[in-house]
Parts: sequence; structure tokens; C-alpha cells
Amino acid sequence: MNPIDDQLNRLFHAARKTDAAEAPVPYGLETRALAAWRESRQTSGLWDMAILARGLVVAIVIMGASMWPALHKTATTDPLSEYLQASDTTLASYETP
Amino acid sequence: MTDAEVAECLARGREGDEKAILELFHYMYPHISKLVHANLPGKESPEDLVQKVCIKVMSHLDQFSGKVPFLHWVSRIAVNTCLNQIRHEKRRPEIRLADLSEEEAGVVEHLATMPGELDASEKMAASELVEKLLNGLKPADRLLMKLMYLDGRHIQEIASLTGWSQTLIKVRAFRARAHLRKQYVLLMKENP
Repeated sequence: MNPIDDQLNRLFHAARKTDAAEAPVPYGLETRALAAWRESRQTSGLWDMAILARGLVVAIVIMGASMWPALHKTATTDPLSEYLQASDTTLASYETP
Repeated sequence: MTDAEVAECLARGREGDEKAILELFHYMYPHISKLVHANLPGKESPEDLVQKVCIKVMSHLDQFSGKVPFLHWVSRIAVNTCLNQIRHEKRRPEIRLADLSEEEAGVVEHLATMPGELDASEKMAASELVEKLLNGLKPADRLLMKLMYLDGRHIQEIASLTGWSQTLIKVRAFRARAHLRKQYVLLMKENP
């Protein structure tokens, strides 16, 4: 083996950390971890609600936008309303002395 | 704890059972602590990083799909957090003999002149010297060297921890090792 590689291997071997004794959980970490879990659950619930509400608004807007031309067209070009309007005009002109 | 028991704890947790979540926490804590201590970046306190990883895992617990073993999933979060932390630290391009303490220079001399393992008293200096040598590597290479040579992990294990392919690991290891060799030769040349 290359002497440099051999020296590096010995250096790494010496630097290897022995397994430290199992450290206890630091004070307060358990509570913080649990709080993080609770928060993530709440956030995901709120997130779902927010998505639902936005979806509803978008659906209403799309529905309104798609119905608008049809309603508008009906209001302006309905043959019945045009006929009634013409009749009203005619009657009004006859009644006028 | 088996994967089935983990799944059961998670299911109980989804129903709001905090005791089950705490069981999971106590199961994964020693694993996270060991991984972070083995791969911790130089300046960061290991305890702070362990806490950071624990909080990260706990806040993403609902996203665990169960497709991989639970501890693999936890390990990957721990390793990636360490890697991100290493990326934040400034790396030094190269190490000079003047940067070494007397003990570290003694280790270099010992390695060059005497065969066999270093004394127990030199282990601390050896560890610091390795840390200085690794500081000159790219973050990913540095993490890989630690996993490989200090933690003694196999390529397959490293692949599952990091998500890198085995080929990438071999290429990175070769490159990092060559860089370390070059650095070490420079030190040797300076050592009278």
C-alpha cells in the first residue's frame, strides 16, 4: 500500500469515535418535539380548510363567468321581450291624441 | 421497535394519541443523536443539531408514507440536515503546518516515522487533525468521508442514508481521498 494511504488510514482509525454512552433526552426537548408535532397537525388541518375555501370561491367565480354571457344574451335578445316591448310602443302611440 | 409497531404508533398518533408519538420519539432519539454526533459539522454544537433534526422529524411525521423503514427515513432527514449545515460553514482551501497544534504536528510526525496504531493519548489530536483535513473538502465529500472512514459505513448503507447512487459515492470517495492525500503530502513536505 502507498505509505501516504497507509498513514491516512491509521489517522482515520485513530480518529474514529467510540460509541458514546447513550445520552438522555435533553430537558425540554420532548415537550418541544411534541409541540412541533401538534403544530404540524393543526397547520395541515388549517391548510386543508384554506384549500377548500379557495376552491369554493374559484368554483363560484367560474360558474358566474360561464353563466354571465347566457344571461346577458337572454336579457337583450329574448324574442318574447322584444315582442312585448314593440307592442307597448305601438299601444302607447295609438293612445296618444 | 418493528416497522409494524411504528405503523401502529403512527396510526394511534393520527387519532390524537400523544403517548404513541412520544414512544416513537424515544425510539428514534438515540439513532438521531448517534448519526448527528458522527457527522456533525465543525462549528455547530451537536446538541443543537440533534434538537433541530428531532423537531424537523416530528413536524413531518404525518408525511411518512411507510414505503421505507422508519429509521431510514429519519436517518435521511438527519444526514441531509447535517449536510445543509456543513454547506453553511465556510470551507478553508488548504491546511498548513502552522495551522496545527503541537499535538497535531506530533501525530503527523508519529505517523510518518513509526508504524502501527497511534497511542490512546494521541487520539484526540488525531481526531482534530482529521477534522481540519476534512474542512478542506466539499460539504458532500466531507460528509461521505465521515460516514465511510469515521463511522465505518458501507457504500450500500451510505446510499440509503443519502439517496446518492453507489457510482456517485465511489466517484466522490475517490475524489475526496485524492484531495486528502494531496493535503497530507503538503503537510509532510512542510514537516522537517
